[in-house]
Amino acid sequence: MIQKKICLLGASAVGKTSLIKQYIEGVFSDKYLTTLGVKVDKKQVQLGPREIQLMVWDIEGIDRYCGFQPKYLRGASAFIIVVDHTRSQSLQEGMEIFQLAQETTNIPAVLVINKTDLPEQWHWTEHEVETRSHMFADCFRTSAKTGEQVDAMFQAVARLCMAD
Amino acid sequence: MYTSLIQALGIINCTIVKRHGNNNFELLYGTNDWAYALLPHARDDTHFTIDDHSPYLQDFLIDAEHFWQIGNDGQIQSGIWSEKTASSLLRLEAIAAVTKGECFLVINNLEQQYARQQKTLQSARELLITNDKMLAEQEYLQERLETILRQADNLTALQAPLNKVIEHAEFGIIIADADMQIVQQNPRALALFELSEQQAPPSPLSITMRLFNEQCPSVERILSTHSEWRGELFWHMSEYVNKWLDLSLQAVVDAQGALVNWIFILNDVTRLKYLQQRNEQLGMYDIVTDLPNRHLLLQNTESAVSDQHPFYFLYLDIKWFKRVNDRYGHAVGDTLLIELVERIQPLLGDENLLARMGGDEFAILLHDTTSAKECDAFCQRLIQTVEQPFYTPDKQQLRVGLNIGVAHYPSDATDCEQLVRFADMAVYSAKRQLDSHAAFYSKSLKDITMKRIAMEEALRKAIKAREFELFLQPIIDMRSGGIVKAEALIRWRDKSNKLISPDEFIPIAELCGLIIPIGHWVIEQAGNMLKLLHSYNDQLTLSVNLSPKQLNDEHLLDAFTATINKTGIDASKVELEITEGVLIDNFERVERHIRQLRKLGIRISIDDFGTGYSSLRYLQRLSVDTVKIDRSFVHDLSDNENDKAIVLAVIAIAKSLGLEVIAEGVETKAQRHFLMDNACFIAQGYLFGRPVPVDDFCQLLSCE
Repeated sequence: MIQKKICLLGASAVGKTSLIKQYIEGVFSDKYLTTLGVKVDKKQVQLGPREIQLMVWDIEGIDRYCGFQPKYLRGASAFIIVVDHTRSQSLQEGMEIFQLAQETTNIPAVLVINKTDLPEQWHWTEHEVETRSHMFADCFRTSAKTGEQVDAMFQAVARLCMAD
Repeated sequence: MYTSLIQALGIINCTIVKRHGNNNFELLYGTNDWAYALLPHARDDTHFTIDDHSPYLQDFLIDAEHFWQIGNDGQIQSGIWSEKTASSLLRLEAIAAVTKGECFLVINNLEQQYARQQKTLQSARELLITNDKMLAEQEYLQERLETILRQADNLTALQAPLNKVIEHAEFGIIIADADMQIVQQNPRALALFELSEQQAPPSPLSITMRLFNEQCPSVERILSTHSEWRGELFWHMSEYVNKWLDLSLQAVVDAQGALVNWIFILNDVTRLKYLQQRNEQLGMYDIVTDLPNRHLLLQNTESAVSDQHPFYFLYLDIKWFKRVNDRYGHAVGDTLLIELVERIQPLLGDENLLARMGGDEFAILLHDTTSAKECDAFCQRLIQTVEQPFYTPDKQQLRVGLNIGVAHYPSDATDCEQLVRFADMAVYSAKRQLDSHAAFYSKSLKDITMKRIAMEEALRKAIKAREFELFLQPIIDMRSGGIVKAEALIRWRDKSNKLISPDEFIPIAELCGLIIPIGHWVIEQAGNMLKLLHSYNDQLTLSVNLSPKQLNDEHLLDAFTATINKTGIDASKVELEITEGVLIDNFERVERHIRQLRKLGIRISIDDFGTGYSSLRYLQRLSVDTVKIDRSFVHDLSDNENDKAIVLAVIAIAKSLGLEVIAEGVETKAQRHFLMDNACFIAQGYLFGRPVPVDDFCQLLSCE
């Protein structure tokens, strides 16, 4: 079976681990538990007649305590930048991570705006998101809590991996 | 052998594998279940391979293989990863090592360390996120409130959505009028102080003001100068109710520079403090820079005072930092602060303490300096260091400056609070300089500062009471003797009918920003005056002076457009006088503004030409219409050959570029003859007329 590596990147507490947990196990926990280092999960995905195995790398949030490590992107077929819908700063940080990743690789990237189940914050303008999402291969608004768009997003990433 | 050694060393929860060749390993130590779960082939064979069972480990083996092949003694680490096995979740770290030509792979099970580290990081990250969120929400609301309050005549004009946001905000908001009377407060402000709407005083505002007065040494200066402030206040209500409050205070001034409102934004940061304390000793340290915070600094200052050893207290204010934050965002601003601290630290000895007071303010307790001269030299080194350019991640250059206020213990003050207050006063005085500056506290500095604060206050009132007047000075065509232009010059007539010279108040207005509302008033008045003057002579041009700050004002064009539309005057009869100095700073922006003004038809004149940074390139790029020869050159024309040469050179430059040239400060017939002999025919000065009130000027025109 074909294996494809994808990486989830983003600032801390944007919901990377929760997205994976929802995708792999179909569960969600409200309690924030910070990730240290990396955790790799596997999931088999059916893409038409073909079945592929996605290796989903959940990478520790990039912030003052943990820098961006380009080596994690080695061998990846796509990466996902996750930002938090309720924290405008996370979009800015996500874009900085995106730029750093682009210096390492030219694989496709997807922007994921997570936590859409929470109320929209007034300091986040649609225009800001629109402008930035054009820089990505695709953009999804997800809720790891309700599961909204989570499968669709990973499915799209899998397709991007195969288009590679 | 290995097993007993390893156990003797107390290294138990690890697996050690020896590498014999490419993907050929031997298990030396580690027969735990988790080791076999990770390396399943090790269970059955002495020599085994590592397959893709663990993608992370397999990825690390690429680096490890490279390292082993180089063969130098040493080790590399994989970093922590989590591995899910059938029965448990492992927290692991792999190490590839080479020792005496032999290659090893060590895998450590870090379950306990992981839990500890996760706990610490969890607190730190929660803290960081809460802080970021709070900042972002506050900034947004503060900015919106400030904009709306500045424009609104009353609070009923507050937009409905914003009103809703205030009502439901997670932080306390109090809006007070200029007399510190509550105009609006939200439910959260009451809840913060455990109050309800029905309750009698004290109000959230009165409690806040009491804490502010008690805990902030600079309160007097902040309120009288309408400055911003941000910091923490501690509220002790009872034995069981203590809160740390983050207060952000912002003054709102109207277009005339008059104080309209105060906005108080209050946040309960007690939980943040608790998280900080849990997270090692962050409670006394600043989150961004890791420096001691204001509270720890004040503790240290108290302690230094009680030791009775002389020291200097330096109050540092980063100049133009707000501009960096506004233009590039807080992430860049924070990075700049961190780099700035890294630059300053090496200048400090072990004895001295650098702390962040909040925002763009820092402080240094300087113990190892004994004289003011040494301290000044230290300040200059600080300034030089800070003034070196910074760079954003995308390589854009940023520059900031540094203001320093210095107070000495015990010469200036013998208690901590007064020492901080005096240093604050000194830095306030330093801020009034255009460039980086260090100011030492002294009695005279205090007097000057108080006088300046009083002057600012009087200016604010003068703007409100419209105590300014425009005088007009004629500009003559010396060939005909006729008035061709007039220069509008501002005068301030105070309540006692005393005329205050612009030399006295314009520099202060320029420094505290009041020049903007004054400038708008001048533009409006000049428009009305020109309309009146054209009823006597419709060819007359009126020139108006523009200061550097006005030229940077984004609303300048709007002010001119509004005046031209309102009065119907011909824009080509308005001439703006700018000095050469404004061309040096922000040339691009000045050029853009000048281009827009010229599009309206307004003429541009360079004032005091020859005294500053005269550059032909500027003259050409800006499409200037007129240059004015500075009065200092004209004054000594009769007996100073250098001045004669300069005047002749300016005339020649102007002619060659096709510009009009005006001589300023003409007071004698000899000066007039010299200028006319050298084809400079337009002039102003006492020989032709002093600045006079508009009615007198109209008389002059009617006599022509």
